[in-house]
Amino acid sequence: MSEEKAYRRLETSQLLQQISFRHMLEAHAASEDGNLTWITSGFPVEIPIAMGIGVVYPEQYAAIVGAQKVGPDICGLAEEYGYSNELCSYARASIGATIKPDQSPLGGLPRPQALLACNNICGTVLRWYDAVSELTGAPVYLFDTPPIDDEQLPHHVAYVRQGLHKLVDFLAKKFDTTMEKENLRKVSQYSSDAIRLWIDSLEACKNKPSPLNCADRFLTMAPVVSSRGKDYCVEFYQALNDEVRGRVKDGIGAIRDERVRLLWDNIPPWFQIFRFFNGLAKKGVVFPADTYTHAWSGKVSGDDLYGSITEVYSNVYLNKGLEAKADKMVQLIKDYALDGFIMFSVRSCKRYSLGQMVTRELVTERTGVPGTIIEGDMVDSRLFNDAQIQTRVEALLEMFV
Amino acid sequence: MRCSCEGNFFMSVQYGIGVDVGSTSTKAVIVDAVGRMVASHLIPTGGSAALSAAKCVERIVADVGIRQDDTPIVSTGYGRAQVNGAGERITEITCHSIGVHHLNPEIALLIDVGGQDSKVIRIGKNGRPADFEINDKCSAGTGRFLEVMSRVLEIPLPELGALALESTAPSAISSTCTVFAESEVIGRIGAGDSVKDIAAGIHLSMASKIGTLSRRVGVVEPVCVTGGVALNPAFRFYLSKQIGVELWVPEEPQLTGALGAAILSLKNND
Repeated sequence: MSEEKAYRRLETSQLLQQISFRHMLEAHAASEDGNLTWITSGFPVEIPIAMGIGVVYPEQYAAIVGAQKVGPDICGLAEEYGYSNELCSYARASIGATIKPDQSPLGGLPRPQALLACNNICGTVLRWYDAVSELTGAPVYLFDTPPIDDEQLPHHVAYVRQGLHKLVDFLAKKFDTTMEKENLRKVSQYSSDAIRLWIDSLEACKNKPSPLNCADRFLTMAPVVSSRGKDYCVEFYQALNDEVRGRVKDGIGAIRDERVRLLWDNIPPWFQIFRFFNGLAKKGVVFPADTYTHAWSGKVSGDDLYGSITEVYSNVYLNKGLEAKADKMVQLIKDYALDGFIMFSVRSCKRYSLGQMVTRELVTERTGVPGTIIEGDMVDSRLFNDAQIQTRVEALLEMFV
Repeated sequence: MRCSCEGNFFMSVQYGIGVDVGSTSTKAVIVDAVGRMVASHLIPTGGSAALSAAKCVERIVADVGIRQDDTPIVSTGYGRAQVNGAGERITEITCHSIGVHHLNPEIALLIDVGGQDSKVIRIGKNGRPADFEINDKCSAGTGRFLEVMSRVLEIPLPELGALALESTAPSAISSTCTVFAESEVIGRIGAGDSVKDIAAGIHLSMASKIGTLSRRVGVVEPVCVTGGVALNPAFRFYLSKQIGVELWVPEEPQLTGALGAAILSLKNND
């Protein structure tokens, strides 16, 4: 009989594969119909979906490139073309795959007819989508969300809202379609339902043992990023939530022997996602919370949907100051009863990684729990030094003895 | 039996072995039941961590005249996973901390400069690390930096520190990258700087990098320096100036990691 694994696989994984496959099929069909947009992860996807326009995510594609361990090859295609190896590896992976789709996983992403970028997650997205625009001929629409310091200024609210109306005009003209208010209401409802179920599944991890580990959340977050606003997305999160709540009820944890509970900060190393987190699971380490998957939590609701979208998409914490990030980490550590934290300094994601040293000090000061910073990248495994990372992580764990 | 000697441990074993496989050298130590170091050995790690560890252990068990099979081993250092016979593998962060605390329980901050990395550890309760920082992937601020520079200047490594102390006007050397600093040193040679000034600039640059790392953790006295680089007088001089405190250096600063591992092998088997 084989040895019992330290972690438990989610039954919902099978459904996740089906829904991901469906998402890609829909994207290919939309592209063939001249109806596909490439879209950034923080973009108000409810708008194109409500207007019947297809969406696909280069960031998710880059994660697949990373998970298939071909990051250096595909990023290398962009580097051969002249892009710096300091550029975001999500950008390099999608640009590389656009240049040579035949050499890329899944044959690259289906060709876009428009590119929708929102700079609430970083400023790189604009230049990145400009580069893709040069390669594909698809025009870029930038949904501009000025950074928020303390609170959003009234003229910024008006500006962002105006950007939404311009977006609708742009899509209507480009794809010869209209925005039906009733459609937007229905899509927003699906989006909010999916997010409600997602948040409830995340919050279930406050329980001991935690029903989900980091890799579980990073994989199951895919639909809430790409397909929120679709009915099948709600079905998926209902199934996930049922499984998660079932685990809580039965006292079943994501890992078999939970001894240390940690917070994870940043995107994961996709090429190591199972090896890294399952390796730690064998040492009794579970990650009941992370800063990244908690980012998809804003529900579009109320009578004024444009106002709600403006608020939700402007207030992504990456669009706020360092203090907001530290507040988020402190809150998660307290709410989820965590013993410490690991911050992944992602070489090519400057926006997420900037200020981690200071944040680490602030968080330890405010919570009293220790943390460590490890360095690497989300897609480009050339930047990941296993021995150095092991030493830092193990030294952190030895502090709990 | 409770021992009344220095160690104050409850012991069921007579000896413990610690093996520290670093990127440059492998160190092994045997301690007796009360934590006294009774044998040690240091050799270059070379191409095989397993082989250098085996050679080291073979030598010290022969020196003491004990059987290896009867003695618990804890391994540490980058090659810790490759040490055969190790009952436990513990990071050098914890082992150095425990080793230094054993030698001098007053020490509050430990700066260890190894061949491949430098670490600053705030020592907490029972000698356990309370906080730590390790240098980033850059090799500036590690023993490797000095090795490269000694080669460029054609001055043997053991003589480099003494030569640097003769300087009164250290050359300006970048503290950001070993490779670029190498070009910079060659440039300083071309510009006519004296070798002693360049050597001093090299030590100052390295001390500056480690000084920054130390301030990040917080300089709390008394401060100890370990690792092979602690033997270098110019490094100690400039580091002391950088962080503004006197430094305590153990008699054999390269062995504290192995010593800590050996102490832990006793504790874990008591």
